[in-house]
Amino acid sequence: MKKPIRRIIEYTVLILIACIFVFPLIWMIVSSLKPEASIYTDMNGIKALLPSLNPSDWLQSYKELFNRFDIVQYIFNSVIYAVVITGGSIVVNAMAGYAFARFHFRGKKILFALMLALLIVPVETIIITQFTVAHSLGILNTRLAVILPLIANIFFIYLFRNFFKAVPEEVIESVKIDGGNNWTIFWRIVLPMSKPAIATVGTLSFIASWNDYLWPLMVLTDTSKFPLQVAITNINTTEPVFTNQVMSILTISTIPLIIVYILAQKYILQGLGGSGTGIK
Amino acid sequence: MNIKKKENLAAYIFLAPALILLGLFLVYPSLLAIYYSFTDYYLLTPNDINIVWLENFIAIFKDPVFIQSLKNIALFVVLVIPIQVGAALGLALLINKQRKGNIFFKVAFFSPVVLSLVVISVLWLYLLNPSEGLINNILLNVGIDPQPFLSSPTQAMVTIVFVSAWQGAGYQMLIFLAGLQNIPGEVYEAGKIDGVNKWQKFYYITLPLLKPTSILIMITTLISAFKLIIQPMVMTQGGPMNATMTPVYYIYQSGFSDRMIGYASAMTVIFGIVIGIVTLIQSRVSREDDN
Repeated sequence: MKKPIRRIIEYTVLILIACIFVFPLIWMIVSSLKPEASIYTDMNGIKALLPSLNPSDWLQSYKELFNRFDIVQYIFNSVIYAVVITGGSIVVNAMAGYAFARFHFRGKKILFALMLALLIVPVETIIITQFTVAHSLGILNTRLAVILPLIANIFFIYLFRNFFKAVPEEVIESVKIDGGNNWTIFWRIVLPMSKPAIATVGTLSFIASWNDYLWPLMVLTDTSKFPLQVAITNINTTEPVFTNQVMSILTISTIPLIIVYILAQKYILQGLGGSGTGIK
Repeated sequence: MNIKKKENLAAYIFLAPALILLGLFLVYPSLLAIYYSFTDYYLLTPNDINIVWLENFIAIFKDPVFIQSLKNIALFVVLVIPIQVGAALGLALLINKQRKGNIFFKVAFFSPVVLSLVVISVLWLYLLNPSEGLINNILLNVGIDPQPFLSSPTQAMVTIVFVSAWQGAGYQMLIFLAGLQNIPGEVYEAGKIDGVNKWQKFYYITLPLLKPTSILIMITTLISAFKLIIQPMVMTQGGPMNATMTPVYYIYQSGFSDRMIGYASAMTVIFGIVIGIVTLIQSRVSREDDN
């Protein structure tokens, strides 16, 4: 007799907590799927968490949003930034990690110690001088300025290095005997063997670049180059502001992340040692 | 060319892209910040940079906004760590059990993590709207007076604490869950034989074994909490009455909006040292864990 009651209480508590965690997300999505006025008339009941009962209303706010702003351009920008940063970050950091894992060269120990020491520099605090550097390089208000600072990452180099150290020596030696040089060994043998490391770095750098806000906000002045995150605050402050349209752009910008988190869930936790974007 | 030289060259070719980028966007800006912190560099007069030695540092500690930002971030850190880490541990314990539908709860608790900081900031701005937001409507329905939340100097920072904890707890829940699943079953079996009750089991077995995980989570939370900027920037612009101004946000405002590079750099140096020390402690702690 005692057990079922306990179980009911347990599930009630779990469901209540789950509601606290998901209701903002649900409200965001359903509010993008109803007319502006309904958002506020629905506020007092369960209807607040339901989309418009008339499905023909659903895409109305999205249509208006796409008419008012160049959303396609923002999506394109975000995708370009994320893809180039993710690809660049995999190649550049893997190469450096490979050098530390496999080569004996002058200054290796000092360089490696220096890199680990640099891990303590909080990048968020040096934004001002990063900006003056971008200014001196003459890349302000270019896509390059958004991309370049996010590519090299000490934590990713370290991750690749540790992974490459675990690749058996014999594999590499046998290719060397067959006449392969370092370049072909790296691209043809080592990299294809490193899918878990690539997936981890790829996932983490995709999420970081997709969510990047402050840096693109600082270096870009042309709205046509804005990524979605910057476009969001821009749309949210461009009069007239419609709640359903704001919720639409929030939803649009979140969809790729939902897909990435579902596809790459097993790689997400590896990022603990790196610097998260938020309080993660 | 001998083999040794060849290997040196190959290594540096592999390292070159990373070293150049790290040099340009990490090392050089860090050194520049140190140099500029001793100057009166104003962005619009780049040809008139004078060394002023410690003037910026003295001015900073007399700057009420900077002092306020330190107090604010201290409040944020002191509140967000127990709330977020506690919630994460609680959630992990709740779902660390064989139960139908557990995966649903896990996904639900994790879902806010998927949202970017900009998205959660804008979303909660609407939810917390004092007159027409959903939260005050819910409160009204259960008989609680509407709250000002972000528009009140006393509530704004606490509100940001809860929004941040809500967003981040699910991620740390997964880390705690991994830690819980690493505790061998025999330990609990042994406890059972000794006749410990549920609370004793939690207090004397689970909690001590989770200590390394907890410390790691607390310090990483501490470090990222120190760098708080997006939430106040988007939700309150540091207000009302500087109640949510944070050091990194103030660095951004003085250096970028007010163009006082020298002054902002001095704050970068001071605050960078603070975060650097905490990070050093973290790497010590996690190294001890490995051993």
